[in-house]
Amino acid sequence: MTLHCPAPIPARAGIGLRSQHYREILEEPPPVAWMETHPENYFGEGGAPRQLLEHIRSQYPLSFHGVGLSIGSTDPIDSTHLRKLKALVDRFQPTFVSEHLSWSSVDGRFLNDLLPLPYTEESLNLVCAKIDEIQTELQRPLLIENVTQYLTWPDSTIPEGEFMAEVVKRSGCGILLDLNNLYVNAVNLHLDPVKFLDVIPPDAVQEIHLAGFDRVGRWLVDTHGRAVYPEVWSLYQWTIYHFGPRPTLIEWDTNLPPLAELVEQASQADAILRACYATPA
Amino acid sequence: MPPLHELQRAFAAAMIEGKGLTAMTSMRVGPAWRSLALYRRLIRNNYVQALTITYPMLRRLIGGRYFSTFARGYLKRYPSKSGDLFLYGQHFSFFLFTLEAPRVLVELARLEWACHEISQAVEKPAFTLGWFEGLAAVDPACVKVHLQPTARLLRFSSPVHVVWQTLQPESVAVAEIGRPLPEEGAYLLLTRVEGKIRVAELAALDYRLLTAMADGRQVDHVEQMAMEVDPQFDFARFIAALMEMNALVGVSMETSL
Repeated sequence: MTLHCPAPIPARAGIGLRSQHYREILEEPPPVAWMETHPENYFGEGGAPRQLLEHIRSQYPLSFHGVGLSIGSTDPIDSTHLRKLKALVDRFQPTFVSEHLSWSSVDGRFLNDLLPLPYTEESLNLVCAKIDEIQTELQRPLLIENVTQYLTWPDSTIPEGEFMAEVVKRSGCGILLDLNNLYVNAVNLHLDPVKFLDVIPPDAVQEIHLAGFDRVGRWLVDTHGRAVYPEVWSLYQWTIYHFGPRPTLIEWDTNLPPLAELVEQASQADAILRACYATPA
Repeated sequence: MPPLHELQRAFAAAMIEGKGLTAMTSMRVGPAWRSLALYRRLIRNNYVQALTITYPMLRRLIGGRYFSTFARGYLKRYPSKSGDLFLYGQHFSFFLFTLEAPRVLVELARLEWACHEISQAVEKPAFTLGWFEGLAAVDPACVKVHLQPTARLLRFSSPVHVVWQTLQPESVAVAEIGRPLPEEGAYLLLTRVEGKIRVAELAALDYRLLTAMADGRQVDHVEQMAMEVDPQFDFARFIAALMEMNALVGVSMETSL
C-alpha cells in the first residue's frame, strides 16, 4: 500500500531522525523543512519505530539514507536487503533514497562500515552495474554519497571527484555531497576539496550533508558527534555559492545533543541558503 | 594491485582476524598500519554499539569494559552476515554459554534477544473475548489459537526476569497469571503491548498449556489438559488473561462455520 506521494524537499535544512528525539518531535514538531533516516532502522515490519515513522512522514518530507547495500562490494547485492528497502520505499515514498560510494562486505561477511574503494575502471564498472540494479528495483534514481576515507589505495587510477562524475554519467544517479566527509578527507589525506568540487556536475548534486568530526590522534574522524565545524561551514558557503541552494541535512548520530541544538544547526544552514537566494547572480 | 575481490577479502581479514595486508601496505599517506588500526577500531566500535543497543541490561549488569571484551570476542566468532545491524547478535547468548559465563548472563542475553526480536515484529489483529464467545456454535474440537508474532514463550533455569527487571531504568511491572512464582527458574511469556515489552511469569501448567496452543493443539484439547492436572482450573480466565496481554491472535478452525 502506498502511504503518500513523494513530497518535494525544498532547498532548506533538515535534520536526521533519531530515536532519542522521538518523544520531543511528537510533542512539538520542530521547525525544520524535512527529515532523514536510515531505512535499515525500519526494516522490522512492526513495532513502535514504524508507527512513529508513519507519523513523521505525515508531517515532513522524508529522505532515506541507506548504509547497508554495500554497492562497492564484489559480492552480489543482498536481495533480501534490497527487497526490504523497496518495500519501505513503496510504503513511505521518500523524496530521496541515497547510499554510499563504498563497500562493506566480501564473501558474505559484512564489516558494517563504509569502506573506501580503489578508484579504478574495475570499481567503476562494478559500482555502475550495482547502481543500475538498485535503480531498476526501486524504480527511481539513487543518490550516491562520497565517504570518509582514512587511506588511499595506492593504485587508484581515477581521482575521486572524476570517479563520482563518471558514475553519474554512466548510471544516471544523483549525488549526495557530504561536505564534512570532503573536509575530513582533505585534512587526513592532504587533498584539495575545491579540486574535487570542480569536477562534480552541479546538476547532479541534489542533497548536501553537514556534520561534525572528532580528533583522534593524527586523524579527523567522521563521528557525527559534534556541531558542524567553522571550516565545514565555510566549505558549505563556498559550495552553495557555486552550486546554488540545495536541501541540506544536519547529521548528528552519536553524542546526541538536545533537539533544540540540532534545530539551531539547521537554522544556521538555512541562513546560508537564504543569503544565497538573496545574492544576485 | 590485486583484483578488487582479493583486496576486499584481505582487508576484511585484516579487520576481523588481525591479519596483515601484506600485498597492499604501501599506502600513499602515512604508515598503512595506522589507517588499518583506525578502521579496525571504528568497525569494532560499530559492533560493540550494535550489541549495546540489543543487550542494554546485560551491559549494565557486567559493565561496559567486560561487555566490550565479550563483544569483540563475539565479532571474531560470529562475523556479521548482513548489512542490517538489527540482525547482528543473535548468537550472543550461545557465545556466552560456550565461554562458560555465569548462567544468569547467558539467560539474560537470551531474554534480551527475544525482546529485540519482538520489538519490531509485525503484530496481527488480536481477537476480542466477544469474538471468541461468538464461536460458541462451533465445535470446540475444531478451534485453534496462535501466539502473536510479537509474543515469545521462554523457559529459564534462573529467575532471569527479576534481574532484567531490576536493571531497567524505569521499573516495569511484572504481570502474573494467577499462579505462585516458582522458586527456581522461570517460565516467561513476553508480549508487546502498545509498543512496550511486557514480561509475565507463568506457572508451569500455564506454560505447558500455552506451549500446546502454540504447537497447534485445539483449544478444547488444551482445556482437557488443564482439567486433568487441576479440575478447578479456570480456563476462561486463563484465556482472558492471555488476550489482555496481547499474546493470542486469530483462530483457525479445521472445519468452516
